[in-house]
Amino acid sequence: MGDRIEIVGIGRTCAKERWTRGLVDLTVEAAGAALDDGGDVSPSAVIVSNALGGALGDQQNLGTFTASSIGLGKVEAHSVSCDEASGGGALRLASALVGAGMHEAVLVVGAEKTSDALPDELETVRANGLDATREAGFGFGPAVASGLGMQRYGAEHGIDRSLFYHLASTAHLHGAKNPFAFLPWELSFDQYIRSPIVADPLTVCDLAPNCDGGAAVLIRKGSGKSSSSVHILGSASVSVPTGISEPITSLSLPAAAQCAMLALRDAGLSIEDLSLLDLHDSSSFIAALSIEAVGLAKRGEALLLARDGHFRFDGPAPLWTFGGLKARGNAPGADGLYQVVEATLQLRGDAGKGQIDGADRALVQCLGSFGATAVTHVLG
Amino acid sequence: MHFARSWRQQSSNLRLVGSRCTSCGAILFPERIRCSGCGSTELEDHRLSGRGTIFTVTTVFEAPRGFESQVPYFAALVELEEGPIICAMLTDVDREDVSVGKKVTMVTRRILAHGDDGPIIYAYKFTPELAG
Repeated sequence: MGDRIEIVGIGRTCAKERWTRGLVDLTVEAAGAALDDGGDVSPSAVIVSNALGGALGDQQNLGTFTASSIGLGKVEAHSVSCDEASGGGALRLASALVGAGMHEAVLVVGAEKTSDALPDELETVRANGLDATREAGFGFGPAVASGLGMQRYGAEHGIDRSLFYHLASTAHLHGAKNPFAFLPWELSFDQYIRSPIVADPLTVCDLAPNCDGGAAVLIRKGSGKSSSSVHILGSASVSVPTGISEPITSLSLPAAAQCAMLALRDAGLSIEDLSLLDLHDSSSFIAALSIEAVGLAKRGEALLLARDGHFRFDGPAPLWTFGGLKARGNAPGADGLYQVVEATLQLRGDAGKGQIDGADRALVQCLGSFGATAVTHVLG
Repeated sequence: MHFARSWRQQSSNLRLVGSRCTSCGAILFPERIRCSGCGSTELEDHRLSGRGTIFTVTTVFEAPRGFESQVPYFAALVELEEGPIICAMLTDVDREDVSVGKKVTMVTRRILAHGDDGPIIYAYKFTPELAG
């Protein structure tokens, strides 16, 4: 990356069922917090990420409506939508606007309002993030796809379903320290093993819970004057041919793997240089493949490393330090920006009970459409 | 599945018509306008045999809207003998007869009904091949 982008302000809402907040309210709440945090930096452009709002009958053209609602006056405003990778995509495009010299500072906001929809309606709309005709149209949603993937992962690697517990329990262990998390409690093995089956062998506890939420980041071209500020050291985005069959048959996420490699190369770092990571964990299956894709584990070994505490706070590769999607909650359009906000808190030393000592480098990656879209940022 | 979308794709939904690229030979499903392998527009209709094997399968207990009445249903990746892997439900089969590697064949079944008075969407499902 050429001139580095500086993160000067961050904001987030609680990731919960926010009955008194609408979609635009969530963008405003998160954006306002980021502007307050950014001091006197005033953005001349706003990029808003959202995955489901229009399909759920909610506000469209969110960029303009958000800018209007937070009183920014005359600014450039756009909306970005690429399923659960929307937040990362919005930040990457905002960085390009700053990097190209088109704007001094840009506000990036992500939000999702899921709790207004009935569960089956929400699942239907989320399924359209897959192939709307050949997958969603035949009764296949993200949960069904992950159930198929877990079947195959277990059979191919000779792994019992119960081992997937260690991914969810790691996320919950960390989420229990996050006051903004939707499910801030530790997950027992008994809870996991008894949870209802959604798509055999995948259970409710293998899925990240849908919630409402918003997260925002205020960026500008890095001044390089302050060693304490957080910068985007590298980034990348990769899309590959769509279809749930590729991750399930190959048991790999090619977009995630290449995207992480390109972002680390952009930053001039290797995975061993990182203090912490946040990877996409919309389901246990996607979480396992993500861990293996970025090189944290060899094929078929993600669950074994999780069992051995590899990804806990005190392990060699802390992961999901605010609970990930599994415990913090899944607000699809905001996911990628929650990751950036949480990593920035870690790098500032402001992560509270979940602080990783000496954190100075972080990698965050969000995925859309069952891994067909990947966006990665390396922060430091 | 929207009614108009289903109408537009009736040849693939009801007869498993895909495309064969005359430039690179790729067999594609569903029909394409441009070859996803080589980019060629030299494509011809290619009806698939409807025979394949179960690559992997799950039993679904919580379904998207419109599929609730079919729960629990078997959702499978079926590897067609021509190569493409497609998502499809299994039908007319008991759980003990569902296993990876099982040979299956296409049948036409109801996929969705738009309410009691709305249109019914028909398309492919798969069922185990009869022995012999």
